[in-house]
Amino acid sequence: MSGLSLQAASLVISWSAIAAAQTPPLNEQSPGFDDFTQRVQQYMKLRKALPNERTTKRQDQIVDRRLAIAGAIREARPSAKQGDIFTPGCTPEFLKVIRGALLGSKAVNVRKTIRQGEPVIGVHLAVNGAYPGHLPRTTVPPTLLLRLPRLPDKLAYRIVDHDFVLQDTEARIVVDFIPGALP
Amino acid sequence: MRKTRRLTFLLVFLSLAVAPLCAQDLTLPLKSGSVRFAVIGDMGTGDAPQYEVAQRMLEFHQKFPFSFTIMLGDNIYGGKAPGDLQKKFEIPYKPLLDAGVQFYASLGNHDDTNERFYKFFNMNGQSYYSFKKGNVHFFALDSDYLDPKQLEWLEKELANAGTDWKICFFHHPLYSSAAFHGSSTELRTILEPLFLKYGVQVVFAGHEHVYERLKPQKGIYYFTEGASGELRYGNLRKTDLTAVGYDKDRSFLSVEISGDDLSFQAISRTGVTVDSGSFHRPGAAQSSP
Repeated sequence: MSGLSLQAASLVISWSAIAAAQTPPLNEQSPGFDDFTQRVQQYMKLRKALPNERTTKRQDQIVDRRLAIAGAIREARPSAKQGDIFTPGCTPEFLKVIRGALLGSKAVNVRKTIRQGEPVIGVHLAVNGAYPGHLPRTTVPPTLLLRLPRLPDKLAYRIVDHDFVLQDTEARIVVDFIPGALP
Repeated sequence: MRKTRRLTFLLVFLSLAVAPLCAQDLTLPLKSGSVRFAVIGDMGTGDAPQYEVAQRMLEFHQKFPFSFTIMLGDNIYGGKAPGDLQKKFEIPYKPLLDAGVQFYASLGNHDDTNERFYKFFNMNGQSYYSFKKGNVHFFALDSDYLDPKQLEWLEKELANAGTDWKICFFHHPLYSSAAFHGSSTELRTILEPLFLKYGVQVVFAGHEHVYERLKPQKGIYYFTEGASGELRYGNLRKTDLTAVGYDKDRSFLSVEISGDDLSFQAISRTGVTVDSGSFHRPGAAQSSP
Protein backbone atom coordinates (compact mmCIF):
# COMPACT_ATOMS: atom_id res chain seq x y z
CA MET A 1 0.00 0.00 0.00
CA SER A 2 1.45 3.41 -0.98
CA GLY A 3 1.90 6.27 1.53
CA LEU A 4 -1.00 8.10 -0.06
CA SER A 5 -3.29 5.10 0.20
CA LEU A 6 -2.29 4.64 3.82
CA GLN A 7 -3.11 8.27 4.53
CA ALA A 8 -6.45 7.98 2.77
CA ALA A 9 -7.27 4.82 4.66
CA SER A 10 -6.38 6.43 7.98
CA LEU A 11 -8.67 9.39 7.18
CA VAL A 12 -11.57 7.09 6.47
CA ILE A 13 -10.89 5.10 9.61
CA SER A 14 -10.56 8.17 11.83
CA TRP A 15 -13.74 9.80 10.49
CA SER A 16 -15.63 6.53 10.84
CA ALA A 17 -14.46 6.34 14.43
CA ILE A 18 -15.73 9.85 15.17
CA ALA A 19 -19.03 9.11 13.48
CA ALA A 20 -19.41 5.86 15.34
CA ALA A 21 -18.72 7.62 18.62
CA GLN A 22 -21.66 9.95 17.95
CA THR A 23 -24.38 7.99 16.24
CA PRO A 24 -23.78 4.73 14.49
CA PRO A 25 -24.56 5.34 10.82
CA LEU A 26 -27.01 3.02 9.21
CA ASN A 27 -25.89 1.04 6.24
CA GLU A 28 -26.43 3.31 3.24
CA GLN A 29 -27.17 0.22 1.18
CA SER A 30 -29.97 -0.66 3.54
CA PRO A 31 -32.71 -2.04 1.27
CA GLY A 32 -35.08 0.47 2.79
CA PHE A 33 -33.19 3.27 1.06
CA ASP A 34 -32.60 1.55 -2.30
CA ASP A 35 -35.78 2.84 -3.80
CA PHE A 36 -34.94 6.39 -2.71
CA THR A 37 -31.42 6.20 -4.12
CA GLN A 38 -32.73 5.01 -7.49
CA ARG A 39 -35.30 7.81 -7.64
CA VAL A 40 -32.63 10.38 -6.80
CA GLN A 41 -30.43 9.01 -9.57
CA GLN A 42 -33.34 9.34 -12.00
CA TYR A 43 -33.86 12.93 -10.88
CA MET A 44 -30.19 13.69 -11.40
CA LYS A 45 -30.28 12.17 -14.88
CA LEU A 46 -33.05 14.60 -15.71
CA ARG A 47 -31.19 17.41 -13.96
CA LYS A 48 -28.00 16.78 -15.93
CA ALA A 49 -29.71 17.94 -19.13
CA LEU A 50 -30.68 21.28 -17.56
CA PRO A 51 -28.59 24.44 -17.09
CA ASN A 52 -26.54 25.10 -13.95
CA GLU A 53 -25.70 28.15 -11.87
CA ARG A 54 -22.34 29.80 -12.58
CA THR A 55 -20.21 32.19 -10.59
CA THR A 56 -20.90 35.81 -11.47
CA LYS A 57 -20.58 39.30 -10.05
CA ARG A 58 -24.19 39.99 -10.95
CA GLN A 59 -26.87 38.84 -8.56
CA ASP A 60 -29.55 39.40 -11.19
CA GLN A 61 -27.91 36.69 -13.32
CA ILE A 62 -27.96 34.27 -10.38
CA VAL A 63 -31.65 34.95 -9.83
CA ASP A 64 -32.49 34.70 -13.54
CA ARG A 65 -30.66 31.40 -13.87
CA ARG A 66 -32.32 30.05 -10.73
CA LEU A 67 -35.75 30.86 -12.13
CA ALA A 68 -34.83 29.35 -15.50
CA ILE A 69 -33.59 26.13 -13.88
CA ALA A 70 -36.69 25.91 -11.70
CA GLY A 71 -38.91 26.43 -14.74
CA ALA A 72 -37.06 23.77 -16.69
CA ILE A 73 -37.40 21.29 -13.82
CA ARG A 74 -41.15 21.92 -13.59
CA GLU A 75 -41.45 21.38 -17.34
CA ALA A 76 -39.42 18.19 -17.15
CA ARG A 77 -41.56 16.71 -14.35
CA PRO A 78 -44.94 18.39 -14.75
CA SER A 79 -46.87 15.75 -12.88
CA ALA A 80 -44.43 15.34 -9.99
CA LYS A 81 -46.21 14.78 -6.71
CA GLN A 82 -45.49 14.15 -3.08
CA GLY A 83 -44.22 10.61 -2.65
CA ASP A 84 -42.51 10.27 -6.03
CA ILE A 85 -39.05 10.19 -4.48
CA PHE A 86 -39.85 9.61 -0.82
CA THR A 87 -41.86 6.61 -1.97
CA PRO A 88 -44.14 4.63 0.34
CA GLY A 89 -41.43 1.96 0.22
CA CYS A 90 -38.63 4.12 1.63
CA THR A 91 -40.59 6.54 3.81
CA PRO A 92 -40.76 4.16 6.80
CA GLU A 93 -36.95 3.87 6.74
CA PHE A 94 -36.63 7.67 6.80
CA LEU A 95 -39.17 7.96 9.59
CA LYS A 96 -37.31 5.34 11.59
CA VAL A 97 -34.05 7.29 11.32
CA ILE A 98 -35.57 10.74 11.87
CA ARG A 99 -37.66 9.70 14.83
CA GLY A 100 -34.80 7.68 16.23
CA ALA A 101 -32.70 10.85 16.26
CA LEU A 102 -35.44 13.09 17.63
CA LEU A 103 -36.68 10.74 20.30
CA GLY A 104 -33.45 8.91 21.12
CA SER A 105 -30.87 9.42 23.85
CA LYS A 106 -29.25 12.42 22.07
CA ALA A 107 -32.61 14.01 21.23
CA VAL A 108 -32.01 17.10 23.38
CA ASN A 109 -28.97 18.12 21.36
CA VAL A 110 -30.55 17.21 18.04
CA ARG A 111 -33.63 19.29 18.76
CA LYS A 112 -31.45 22.14 19.97
CA THR A 113 -29.60 22.11 16.65
CA ILE A 114 -32.88 22.39 14.77
CA ARG A 115 -34.06 25.22 17.03
CA GLN A 116 -30.79 27.07 16.51
CA GLY A 117 -31.54 27.12 12.78
CA GLU A 118 -34.54 29.29 13.66
CA PRO A 119 -37.11 27.15 11.84
CA VAL A 120 -40.34 28.70 10.69
CA ILE A 121 -43.67 27.10 11.48
CA GLY A 122 -46.93 27.19 9.57
CA VAL A 123 -45.35 26.92 6.11
CA HIS A 124 -47.10 24.74 3.54
CA LEU A 125 -44.92 23.23 0.86
CA ALA A 126 -45.75 21.80 -2.54
CA VAL A 127 -43.69 19.58 -4.84
CA ASN A 128 -42.23 21.69 -7.66
CA GLY A 129 -43.12 24.75 -5.57
CA ALA A 130 -40.53 27.35 -4.66
CA TYR A 131 -38.81 26.98 -1.31
CA PRO A 132 -40.04 30.25 0.23
CA GLY A 133 -37.43 32.97 -0.21
CA HIS A 134 -37.88 34.41 3.27
CA LEU A 135 -37.31 31.04 4.99
CA PRO A 136 -34.05 30.34 6.75
CA ARG A 137 -32.14 27.44 5.22
CA THR A 138 -32.66 25.73 8.59
CA THR A 139 -30.01 23.59 10.20
CA VAL A 140 -30.10 19.85 9.65
CA PRO A 141 -28.53 18.03 12.61
CA PRO A 142 -25.24 16.48 11.51
CA THR A 143 -25.85 13.31 13.52
CA LEU A 144 -29.02 12.85 11.48
CA LEU A 145 -27.20 13.49 8.19
CA LEU A 146 -24.72 10.78 9.13
CA ARG A 147 -27.51 8.22 9.09
CA LEU A 148 -29.24 9.22 5.87
CA PRO A 149 -28.39 8.35 2.27
CA ARG A 150 -25.88 10.74 0.77
CA LEU A 151 -27.14 13.16 -1.81
CA PRO A 152 -25.59 14.57 -4.98
CA ASP A 153 -24.32 18.16 -4.88
CA LYS A 154 -27.47 19.86 -6.12
CA LEU A 155 -29.76 18.26 -3.56
CA ALA A 156 -30.08 18.75 0.18
CA TYR A 157 -32.33 17.67 3.01
CA ARG A 158 -34.20 20.45 4.77
CA ILE A 159 -36.46 20.60 7.79
CA VAL A 160 -39.45 22.92 7.45
CA ASP A 161 -41.88 22.92 10.33
CA HIS A 162 -42.65 19.20 10.83
CA ASP A 163 -41.91 18.26 7.23
CA PHE A 164 -38.76 16.60 5.95
CA VAL A 165 -37.85 18.08 2.60
CA LEU A 166 -35.69 17.21 -0.39
CA GLN A 167 -34.64 20.50 -1.95
CA ASP A 168 -32.92 21.31 -5.23
CA THR A 169 -30.52 23.90 -3.85
CA GLU A 170 -29.74 25.71 -7.12
CA ALA A 171 -33.33 25.90 -8.30
CA ARG A 172 -34.63 26.41 -4.74
CA ILE A 173 -37.59 24.19 -5.41
CA VAL A 174 -39.12 21.42 -3.35
CA VAL A 175 -38.34 18.12 -5.07
CA ASP A 176 -40.33 16.05 -2.58
CA PHE A 177 -41.15 15.96 1.12
CA ILE A 178 -42.45 13.72 3.87
CA PRO A 179 -45.25 15.60 5.62
CA GLY A 180 -45.24 15.43 9.39
CA ALA A 181 -42.00 13.44 9.52
CA LEU A 182 -40.75 15.24 12.61
CA PRO A 183 -42.58 14.38 15.79
CA MET B 1 -25.64 85.01 20.25
CA ARG B 2 -26.80 83.17 17.13
CA LYS B 3 -23.16 83.00 15.96
CA THR B 4 -22.07 81.51 19.28
CA ARG B 5 -24.79 78.89 19.06
CA ARG B 6 -23.71 78.01 15.52
CA LEU B 7 -20.10 77.74 16.61
CA THR B 8 -21.03 75.56 19.57
CA PHE B 9 -23.09 73.30 17.29
CA LEU B 10 -20.19 73.07 14.85
CA LEU B 11 -17.72 72.19 17.60
CA VAL B 12 -20.02 69.52 19.02
CA PHE B 13 -20.59 68.09 15.53
CA LEU B 14 -16.88 68.02 14.77
CA SER B 15 -16.00 66.42 18.09
CA LEU B 16 -18.60 63.68 17.46
CA ALA B 17 -17.35 63.14 13.94
CA VAL B 18 -13.72 62.95 14.94
CA ALA B 19 -14.26 60.95 18.14
CA PRO B 20 -14.49 57.56 16.44
CA LEU B 21 -11.24 58.17 14.60
CA CYS B 22 -9.49 59.05 17.83
CA ALA B 23 -11.00 56.14 19.69
CA GLN B 24 -9.76 53.65 17.11
CA ASP B 25 -6.27 53.60 18.55
CA LEU B 26 -4.38 50.91 16.78
CA THR B 27 -3.19 48.16 19.10
CA LEU B 28 -2.14 45.80 16.33
CA PRO B 29 1.60 45.59 15.68
CA LEU B 30 1.49 46.25 11.89
CA LYS B 31 4.47 44.04 11.21
CA SER B 32 5.93 43.85 7.77
CA GLY B 33 4.64 40.91 5.73
CA SER B 34 1.93 40.02 8.22
CA VAL B 35 -1.46 38.52 7.26
CA ARG B 36 -4.12 41.13 8.05
CA PHE B 37 -7.85 40.65 7.91
CA ALA B 38 -11.17 41.78 9.33
CA VAL B 39 -13.95 39.58 10.69
CA ILE B 40 -17.65 40.40 10.43
CA GLY B 41 -20.74 38.35 11.15
CA ASP B 42 -24.53 38.63 10.95
CA MET B 43 -24.20 41.93 9.15
CA GLY B 44 -26.52 41.75 6.13
CA THR B 45 -29.44 43.83 7.36
CA GLY B 46 -29.02 46.80 5.05
CA ASP B 47 -29.85 49.05 8.02
CA ALA B 48 -27.96 52.08 9.30
CA PRO B 49 -25.89 50.23 11.96
CA GLN B 50 -24.42 47.92 9.31
CA TYR B 51 -23.37 50.99 7.31
CA GLU B 52 -21.89 52.60 10.39
CA VAL B 53 -19.80 49.52 11.17
CA ALA B 54 -18.70 49.45 7.52
CA GLN B 55 -17.64 53.09 7.86
CA ARG B 56 -15.59 52.28 10.99
CA MET B 57 -13.98 49.43 9.06
CA LEU B 58 -13.03 51.82 6.30
CA GLU B 59 -11.53 54.29 8.76
CA PHE B 60 -9.63 51.47 10.46
CA HIS B 61 -8.43 50.22 7.07
CA GLN B 62 -6.57 53.49 6.64
CA LYS B 63 -4.53 52.74 9.76
CA PHE B 64 -4.48 48.99 9.42
CA PRO B 65 -4.61 48.09 5.73
CA PHE B 66 -6.16 44.64 5.90
CA SER B 67 -6.34 42.85 2.56
CA PHE B 68 -9.41 40.69 3.14
CA THR B 69 -12.44 40.15 5.33
CA ILE B 70 -13.98 36.87 6.43
CA MET B 71 -17.76 36.76 6.80
CA LEU B 72 -19.32 34.50 9.41
CA GLY B 73 -22.73 34.05 7.84
CA ASP B 74 -26.12 35.72 7.70
CA ASN B 75 -24.55 37.80 5.00
CA ILE B 76 -27.90 38.74 3.48
CA TYR B 77 -31.00 38.75 5.67
CA GLY B 78 -34.52 38.71 4.26
CA GLY B 79 -35.00 39.21 0.54
CA LYS B 80 -32.32 38.04 -1.87
CA ALA B 81 -33.26 40.08 -4.93
CA PRO B 82 -30.47 41.92 -6.76
CA GLY B 83 -31.43 45.14 -4.97
CA ASP B 84 -30.95 43.39 -1.62
CA LEU B 85 -27.39 42.34 -2.48
CA GLN B 86 -26.61 45.95 -3.31
CA LYS B 87 -28.21 47.39 -0.21
CA LYS B 88 -26.88 44.73 2.16
CA PHE B 89 -23.41 44.21 0.73
CA GLU B 90 -22.22 46.15 -2.29
CA ILE B 91 -23.09 49.65 -1.08
CA PRO B 92 -21.96 49.47 2.55
CA TYR B 93 -18.65 47.80 1.67
CA LYS B 94 -18.08 49.57 -1.66
CA PRO B 95 -15.19 51.72 -0.44
CA LEU B 96 -13.46 48.61 0.92
CA LEU B 97 -14.14 46.69 -2.30
CA ASP B 98 -12.79 49.63 -4.25
CA ALA B 99 -9.70 49.58 -2.07
CA GLY B 100 -9.12 45.96 -3.14
CA VAL B 101 -10.31 44.27 0.04
CA GLN B 102 -11.55 40.76 -0.74
CA PHE B 103 -14.46 39.16 1.08
CA TYR B 104 -14.60 35.45 1.89
CA ALA B 105 -18.06 34.33 2.97
CA SER B 106 -19.42 31.41 4.92
CA LEU B 107 -23.14 30.73 4.92
CA GLY B 108 -25.53 31.24 7.82
CA ASN B 109 -29.05 29.97 8.36
CA HIS B 110 -30.50 33.14 6.83
CA ASP B 111 -28.42 32.91 3.66
CA ASP B 112 -29.38 31.52 0.29
CA THR B 113 -27.15 28.61 -0.74
CA ASN B 114 -26.82 30.32 -4.13
CA GLU B 115 -24.77 33.07 -2.52
CA ARG B 116 -21.91 30.69 -3.24
CA PHE B 117 -22.16 31.77 -6.89
CA TYR B 118 -21.79 35.45 -6.05
CA LYS B 119 -18.26 36.30 -7.13
CA PHE B 120 -17.65 38.96 -4.47
CA PHE B 121 -18.06 36.26 -1.80
CA ASN B 122 -15.14 34.25 -3.24
CA MET B 123 -16.81 30.89 -2.64
CA ASN B 124 -16.32 29.64 -6.21
CA GLY B 125 -19.66 27.86 -6.22
CA GLN B 126 -18.90 25.87 -3.05
CA SER B 127 -20.68 26.15 0.28
CA TYR B 128 -17.45 25.08 2.01
CA TYR B 129 -13.92 25.74 0.81
CA SER B 130 -10.41 26.60 1.91
CA PHE B 131 -7.81 29.17 0.98
CA LYS B 132 -4.35 30.15 2.09
CA LYS B 133 -2.87 33.54 2.93
CA GLY B 134 0.80 33.57 3.86
CA ASN B 135 1.32 30.97 6.57
CA VAL B 136 -2.38 30.74 7.40
CA HIS B 137 -4.86 28.16 6.11
CA PHE B 138 -8.50 29.21 6.28
CA PHE B 139 -11.37 26.73 6.18
CA ALA B 140 -14.86 28.11 5.56
CA LEU B 141 -17.50 25.61 6.65
CA ASP B 142 -21.23 25.33 6.10
CA SER B 143 -22.37 24.66 9.65
CA ASP B 144 -26.04 24.42 8.64
CA TYR B 145 -25.34 21.29 6.67
CA LEU B 146 -22.42 19.28 8.02
CA ASP B 147 -22.97 16.16 5.97
CA PRO B 148 -20.48 13.30 5.79
CA LYS B 149 -19.14 14.60 2.49
CA GLN B 150 -18.19 17.96 4.00
CA LEU B 151 -16.67 16.32 7.05
CA GLU B 152 -14.54 14.02 4.93
CA TRP B 153 -13.44 16.99 2.85
CA LEU B 154 -12.54 18.93 6.00
CA GLU B 155 -10.55 16.06 7.44
CA LYS B 156 -8.59 15.66 4.22
CA GLU B 157 -7.92 19.41 3.96
CA LEU B 158 -6.79 19.67 7.57
CA ALA B 159 -4.56 16.63 7.22
CA ASN B 160 -2.84 18.21 4.22
CA ALA B 161 -2.48 21.66 5.76
CA GLY B 162 0.87 21.00 7.42
CA THR B 163 1.97 22.81 10.52
CA ASP B 164 0.92 26.36 9.65
CA TRP B 165 -1.88 28.29 11.28
CA LYS B 166 -5.23 26.58 10.75
CA ILE B 167 -8.27 28.80 11.17
CA CYS B 168 -11.84 27.61 10.73
CA PHE B 169 -14.78 29.96 10.31
CA PHE B 170 -18.47 29.24 10.08
CA HIS B 171 -21.79 30.42 11.42
CA HIS B 172 -22.71 28.51 14.58
CA PRO B 173 -20.52 28.96 17.67
CA LEU B 174 -19.34 25.73 19.30
CA TYR B 175 -18.99 27.66 22.56
CA SER B 176 -21.02 30.71 23.51
CA SER B 177 -22.23 32.48 26.62
CA ALA B 178 -25.03 34.30 24.82
CA ALA B 179 -28.51 33.55 26.09
CA PHE B 180 -30.41 33.39 22.82
CA HIS B 181 -28.91 30.19 21.36
CA GLY B 182 -25.87 29.33 23.44
CA SER B 183 -23.28 26.76 22.44
CA SER B 184 -23.96 24.52 19.46
CA THR B 185 -23.25 21.36 21.36
CA GLU B 186 -24.10 18.85 18.67
CA LEU B 187 -21.85 20.54 16.13
CA ARG B 188 -19.16 20.63 18.78
CA THR B 189 -19.27 16.87 19.27
CA ILE B 190 -18.70 16.46 15.54
CA LEU B 191 -16.17 19.21 14.81
CA GLU B 192 -14.09 19.51 17.94
CA PRO B 193 -12.44 16.07 17.63
CA LEU B 194 -11.28 17.01 14.12
CA PHE B 195 -10.01 20.40 15.27
CA LEU B 196 -8.04 18.78 18.07
CA LYS B 197 -6.69 15.96 15.96
CA TYR B 198 -5.38 18.26 13.23
CA GLY B 199 -4.31 21.20 15.35
CA VAL B 200 -6.81 23.93 14.48
CA GLN B 201 -5.76 26.90 16.61
CA VAL B 202 -8.49 29.48 16.05
CA VAL B 203 -12.21 29.36 15.29
CA PHE B 204 -14.44 32.29 14.33
CA ALA B 205 -18.24 32.01 14.44
CA GLY B 206 -21.27 34.29 14.39
CA HIS B 207 -24.98 33.53 14.88
CA GLU B 208 -25.13 35.05 18.36
CA HIS B 209 -25.51 38.80 17.88
CA VAL B 210 -22.78 39.78 20.29
CA TYR B 211 -19.01 39.86 20.42
CA GLU B 212 -17.35 37.30 22.64
CA ARG B 213 -13.82 36.03 23.04
CA LEU B 214 -13.80 32.78 24.89
CA LYS B 215 -11.16 31.36 27.13
CA PRO B 216 -9.26 28.78 25.09
CA GLN B 217 -11.17 25.52 25.07
CA LYS B 218 -8.91 22.47 24.94
CA GLY B 219 -6.22 24.79 23.60
CA ILE B 220 -8.33 26.31 20.79
CA TYR B 221 -9.12 30.04 20.68
CA TYR B 222 -12.78 30.77 19.91
CA PHE B 223 -14.22 34.14 18.89
CA THR B 224 -17.86 34.98 18.23
CA GLU B 225 -18.49 38.06 16.10
CA GLY B 226 -22.18 38.10 15.28
CA ALA B 227 -22.88 41.77 15.81
CA SER B 228 -21.64 43.53 12.69
CA GLY B 229 -25.19 44.45 11.65
CA GLU B 230 -27.58 42.76 14.05
CA LEU B 231 -27.38 43.16 17.83
CA ARG B 232 -28.97 41.45 20.81
CA TYR B 233 -28.36 44.10 23.40
CA GLY B 234 -27.46 42.72 26.81
CA ASN B 235 -27.76 39.10 25.68
CA LEU B 236 -24.42 37.91 27.02
CA ARG B 237 -24.52 35.95 30.26
CA LYS B 238 -20.86 36.00 31.10
CA THR B 239 -19.91 32.49 32.13
CA ASP B 240 -16.74 30.61 32.93
CA LEU B 241 -16.27 30.38 29.17
CA THR B 242 -16.05 34.14 28.67
CA ALA B 243 -12.72 35.91 28.45
CA VAL B 244 -14.20 39.19 27.16
CA GLY B 245 -17.69 39.95 25.91
CA TYR B 246 -19.42 42.96 24.43
CA ASP B 247 -23.16 43.19 23.80
CA LYS B 248 -23.84 46.90 24.06
CA ASP B 249 -23.36 47.79 20.39
CA ARG B 250 -22.35 46.43 17.01
CA SER B 251 -18.74 45.57 16.33
CA PHE B 252 -16.14 44.07 14.01
CA LEU B 253 -12.86 42.34 14.64
CA SER B 254 -9.48 42.85 13.03
CA VAL B 255 -6.69 40.33 13.14
CA GLU B 256 -2.99 40.34 12.32
CA ILE B 257 -0.85 37.23 12.09
CA SER B 258 2.88 37.56 11.94
CA GLY B 259 4.89 34.36 12.11
CA ASP B 260 3.61 32.46 15.14
CA ASP B 261 1.89 35.44 16.75
CA LEU B 262 -1.73 36.46 16.37
CA SER B 263 -2.99 39.89 17.48
CA PHE B 264 -6.61 40.99 17.51
CA GLN B 265 -8.60 44.15 18.10
CA ALA B 266 -12.40 44.36 18.35
CA ILE B 267 -13.93 47.73 17.57
CA SER B 268 -17.47 48.95 18.22
CA ARG B 269 -19.81 50.81 15.87
CA THR B 270 -18.80 54.04 17.57
CA GLY B 271 -15.11 53.31 17.13
CA VAL B 272 -14.27 52.20 20.66
CA THR B 273 -11.83 49.36 21.10
CA VAL B 274 -13.74 46.79 23.16
CA ASP B 275 -11.15 44.03 23.21
CA SER B 276 -7.57 43.53 22.13
CA GLY B 277 -4.68 41.20 22.76
CA SER B 278 -2.36 38.66 21.26
CA PHE B 279 -1.29 35.07 21.63
CA HIS B 280 1.36 32.72 20.36
CA ARG B 281 0.38 29.86 18.10
CA PRO B 282 -0.39 26.88 20.32
CA GLY B 283 2.17 24.18 19.79
CA ALA B 284 4.72 26.51 18.17
CA ALA B 285 8.11 27.10 19.75
CA GLN B 286 8.43 30.37 21.66
CA SER B 287 10.52 32.87 19.73
CA SER B 288 13.59 34.22 21.44
CA PRO B 289 13.21 37.76 22.86
